[in-house]
Amino acid sequence: MRRYLVRQLVQLVVVILGISILAFSILHIIGDPVTLLLPQNAGKEEYVRYKHLMGLDQPIWIQYWKFATGAVQGDFGRSWYGNAPAFRLVVDRMPPTIYLTLAGLGVALLIALPLGVLAALKRHSFVDTLCTLLAVAGQAMPIFWLGIMLIIIFAVRLRLLPASGYGTWQNFIMPAFCLGAFLAPITMRLVRSGIIEVMNMEFIKTARAKGVAERMVVVKHAFRNACIPVITVLGLQFGQLLGGAFITETVFAWPGVATLTVDSIRNQDFPVVQCAVVLLALIIVIVNAFVDLLVGLIDPRIRAGA
Amino acid sequence: MVRAATLGFVLLVMVGLALPGAAPAQTKDDTIVYALQSDIDTWDPPGSVLREAIILGYQVFDHLAVRDLKTRKVGPNLAISWKTIDDTTWEVKLRQGVKFHDGTPFTSKDVKATFDRVLDPVKKMIARGNHAKIKSVEIVDDYTVRFKTDGPYPLFVERLTAQVMESEKVIREKGDEWMQEHPVGTGPYKLVSWNRKQEHLLVRNDDYWGPKPYYKYVRVRIIPEQATQIAELLSGGVDIMKAVPPDQMDVINKSGAARTATSPILRTAFLQLDQAARSGPNPFTDKRVRIAANLAADQDAIIKHVLNGLGDRVATAVNPMAFGWDPALKPYKQDVARAKKLLAEAGYPNGVDILFNEAPPTVEPGTQQTNDAIVAEMTKVGLRVKRNYIGDNTVVVARAKEGKLGPMFNWSWGYYSVFDADAILYDIFKCGEFYAYYCNKELDDLIISGRSTLDQKKRTEVYAKAQKLLFDEAAYLYKWGLRGVWGISNRVDYSAPPDEVDRMFLVTPRKK
Repeated sequence: MRRYLVRQLVQLVVVILGISILAFSILHIIGDPVTLLLPQNAGKEEYVRYKHLMGLDQPIWIQYWKFATGAVQGDFGRSWYGNAPAFRLVVDRMPPTIYLTLAGLGVALLIALPLGVLAALKRHSFVDTLCTLLAVAGQAMPIFWLGIMLIIIFAVRLRLLPASGYGTWQNFIMPAFCLGAFLAPITMRLVRSGIIEVMNMEFIKTARAKGVAERMVVVKHAFRNACIPVITVLGLQFGQLLGGAFITETVFAWPGVATLTVDSIRNQDFPVVQCAVVLLALIIVIVNAFVDLLVGLIDPRIRAGA
Repeated sequence: MVRAATLGFVLLVMVGLALPGAAPAQTKDDTIVYALQSDIDTWDPPGSVLREAIILGYQVFDHLAVRDLKTRKVGPNLAISWKTIDDTTWEVKLRQGVKFHDGTPFTSKDVKATFDRVLDPVKKMIARGNHAKIKSVEIVDDYTVRFKTDGPYPLFVERLTAQVMESEKVIREKGDEWMQEHPVGTGPYKLVSWNRKQEHLLVRNDDYWGPKPYYKYVRVRIIPEQATQIAELLSGGVDIMKAVPPDQMDVINKSGAARTATSPILRTAFLQLDQAARSGPNPFTDKRVRIAANLAADQDAIIKHVLNGLGDRVATAVNPMAFGWDPALKPYKQDVARAKKLLAEAGYPNGVDILFNEAPPTVEPGTQQTNDAIVAEMTKVGLRVKRNYIGDNTVVVARAKEGKLGPMFNWSWGYYSVFDADAILYDIFKCGEFYAYYCNKELDDLIISGRSTLDQKKRTEVYAKAQKLLFDEAAYLYKWGLRGVWGISNRVDYSAPPDEVDRMFLVTPRKK
């Protein structure tokens, strides 16, 4: 266990360092932040003055070193727009995105688990075909289109839900469904194929031969085994989900960290981008480590192997 | 038992009072909801480059001078009058009896502190460039200040509309960081709360010195997606939105819930031609080719049919709302035969290839569609346009600045809300400036003489000459002045503002 943790920790440091260097270089390649920060009518003198004030007239490795030494101590610098601490800006916007992602995950599982199991048990039936159709439709549907359609139907026409915003439980319904619909198809297909594969295995036959009720066979023996690839893939999909969160946040005016990051990239607000990228990478690495542990918990074979 | 119930009730009331947000009980009838596409970064307007910061600044702060939306002329506000003492000194008299939101009276030391802070070269104040011509601010008495300028400064009064008055006490005692989130102004509304990227809540300043706003509360909602803004407008979640895409006007007007309003705005669109050869040799260094380009397209038809009338044809890049605009100058009319002849004279009887760097419709609606129309007609006269679409406006601005967008590219200019010909001539046509792809000594002399006298009559003559020259030279391919489109809920009355600054204190309930 200790060896496992040490390995994870080393991996974490390497990933974070790599990501921060990558983000830093890409930001510097795409252009000059001072041109963006100043009004278009600002003269050359203002330009030079600002470049100096922001420390951008120094060599790039010195700039990175300053950033890295600060970041290690938890100081990511101040946003160039608004001059507030980058860390605070990012952390303030974290909860809405995390809630949205979790809600989306919940919706995806709520759709995917029952339908996946159903499709597996009634393979090649009408139900299975219908589920496949739904999955294809779900996968093919762009999130922003689904989002806007939901708004038009439920907010403009039926006036049942608020069209956008954040704060009440009603605000959660459409964005969570949107994000869930984005993740559900792949999960459903995985559950289906997992169950089908497991159902053909020897131990299922044994369980049936023992006289275990079919319901128990599915729930206790088959489902638990089918879960392992699903959890692994969901862990890997977490990054994807954050990407989906950006689109969902934009459509529903959701004040999350994903829109903050993209806005900051557009503004080339280096400190905020750096801080957001490092923290998001941290979250993804932690989620993946957690998934590893969870899989081990469910499947004793993996625990023994590790 | 009764006692327990009473205790329970008292506790409940106490909890109720302690809950945050319970204090301002707003109802739909006393609240106006305004939508913005993106949030401000700071509540300290001189520290921000964003248009949204200017707009929100107008609700909470006051300026020394403001524009009258009907006459479009600048008139008194916190200043009651101004005059020149000599060529480089302006004297401004201040309004008495004005109070900041914290109760301190507004006097000349606030004016001095505001400008001293903005002009401080070691501070990161974005607005510094706007006022760099001001050398110093001197207090004469409590209600009189003198501004010393670096040479004659004819834009002085225009620029007063671009600077909010902040409190000397706040600047001294609280400092820059505090001011980012706590605006203390003298304006018609006060800030109650700000949830970043989500919402601002403003409440009416009942001690305001001017006419009091009708609505007690203003909610400013940040909604990045335009389609969502429109959905909110139609379902009653938003009362006023700006920048409605032209193709969505019908949807709003037929809904019965809201309507659109348009106004000419201080932004002119044109295609820059690289006469100065900043990005290398090209056909547009020849005046005849530039004139041919201006003669190729029927722009009146494009405005009418492609832009649904949302444009005002102009003879040069000078906007009809700007001081110095010459109404006598008439725009180029389509003349295919003459365009072909000019091209042949320039040595291109069989036409010539032109690279066109196209910008996204971020600031200019319908760019794609109007480009389609112009390109088609240019090709007919022999200017064979090869189109290169650049999808991100940030990239367009950066590359334009570096001189890399020639020989032809989409550009438009918003004058930084300074209604004066100088605000476009200097930045877009003066040789060597960041965005200028035209270079002509004769024009430069006119631009300089226009900004170095306070005599408005003489300036009008200078700018008439400059426009004549720009027209004869066909410096760029001139297009039109833009019009803004606003979406307005049918429960309120509101007029679209020509300076693109929405003023929530002017909104009233709709008269039946």
